[in-house]
Amino acid sequence: MATATGTEAAGPHEEARKRPYVVVFGILAVVTLAELNVYGLGIPHLETITILVVLATIKASLVVAYYMHLRYEPRWIALIPLGGLALVAVLVAALTATSVHP
Amino acid sequence: MAHPEPAGHEEEEHHGSPWPVIIAVGMGVAYVGIVTASIPMLLAGFVIFAGGAGGWIHQDMQRPSSAFYGLAAAVESKLPRVSARKLGLWLFLATEIMFFSAIIGASWTLRLRTTTLGDAFQGPWAQPGEILNVPLTGLNTFILICSSLTMVEGLAAAERGDQRKLRIFLLATLLLGMTFLSIQAFEYQKLYFGEGLTFKTAPFGVNPLYGPTFYAQTGVHGSHVTAGVLAMAYITRKAFKGGFTKENHEAVELVGLYWHFVDVVWIFLFTIVYLI
Repeated sequence: MATATGTEAAGPHEEARKRPYVVVFGILAVVTLAELNVYGLGIPHLETITILVVLATIKASLVVAYYMHLRYEPRWIALIPLGGLALVAVLVAALTATSVHP
Repeated sequence: MAHPEPAGHEEEEHHGSPWPVIIAVGMGVAYVGIVTASIPMLLAGFVIFAGGAGGWIHQDMQRPSSAFYGLAAAVESKLPRVSARKLGLWLFLATEIMFFSAIIGASWTLRLRTTTLGDAFQGPWAQPGEILNVPLTGLNTFILICSSLTMVEGLAAAERGDQRKLRIFLLATLLLGMTFLSIQAFEYQKLYFGEGLTFKTAPFGVNPLYGPTFYAQTGVHGSHVTAGVLAMAYITRKAFKGGFTKENHEAVELVGLYWHFVDVVWIFLFTIVYLI
C-alpha cells in the first residue's frame, strides 16, 4: 500500500539528510538559557511576560516545524493543529476578558 | 491473525486486528465500574484492557511498521496523501491541544482572579522562583529538548536504514525521558514534603490555589511523558529486535510526533508555570 500513493509520508531520504536538527537544537538551548536570564535585564513586568511568551512561541514553532516535520508535510496537515489552536485562542480571550473584570 | 510476512517486507497487507476492540471493551467495562462504584467491574475492565494491550503489543512486535493509507488509497484526490495512522495521530494531537488548553486556561483564570483580588482572596500568587526551583526545572527543560533531538535523529537513522544509530538514539531518548520524570518526582517530593506546597496549602502566605493548579498542570504533563516513555520503551525493544527497516519504520515517526508534542507543551508550561 505504501508504494501506491505516496511520497509525502516517508519523505525523500536525500532531503532528510539535510534537515537542520542540530542547528534547531542549538537555537532551542540558547533561547532556553535566555529565558532563564530575562528577569536579570530589569525590564518591566508586562514587557518581560511578553518577551517570555514570544520566546516560548519561537521554540514551540521550531519544534513543530522541524522536529515534527510539519514543514515537510503536505500543507493541509497544518490545518489540524491550527483548528485546535483557533479554539484555544477563543478560550484564552474569553477567560482573560472575564477574569480581568470579575 | 499472525502476520505471515517477515518484519520489513515492503508489500505488507494490513489485516484487521481484534485487540483494539478488546481494549475498547475493557475501557468501557472499567468506565461502567467507575460510574456504578463497582470495584469488581472496574478490576474486570482493567484485566480486559491489560490483556488487549498485551495482545496488541505482542502482535505488533511481529509486524512491519509501514505507512498505511486505508480508504484514501482508493479515493481520487488532488490533496497530497498522508498515511492513515499519521493523520489519526495529528487529529489526536489536536484534541490534546484542547485538553491542555483547558487545564492551563482554568489555572490561568484562577491566577488572574487572584491577582485582581489580591490579599483579599487568601493571598497573592507566588513570584517566579519564590517556591519553585527554576534552575532545576531549566535543567529538566534542557533534558527534554535533548530528548527531542535524539528522537528526531533516531527517525533520521531509521530513514537511512542505520540500525545501530536508530537503537542508540531511541535508547538515549528513553533514558532522557526517564531522567526528566525522575527529576520531576524529586521536585514534587521536595515541594510537597519540604516546602509544604500541598493541594490545600502553600508556604510564604501564597494563595492555596497555587498548589493544586501547579500539580494539575505539571501532573497531566508528567503523565503524558510517562505514556511517551512507555511507548518509547516499546519501540526501543522492537528496534533492538530488528523490527524497523529503511522502508518500514512508521511507528518510530508516530511515537516521535507524540514525544515532540509533549516537548512543545512543556515549552509553554515552563514559561507559564515557572517563569511568569
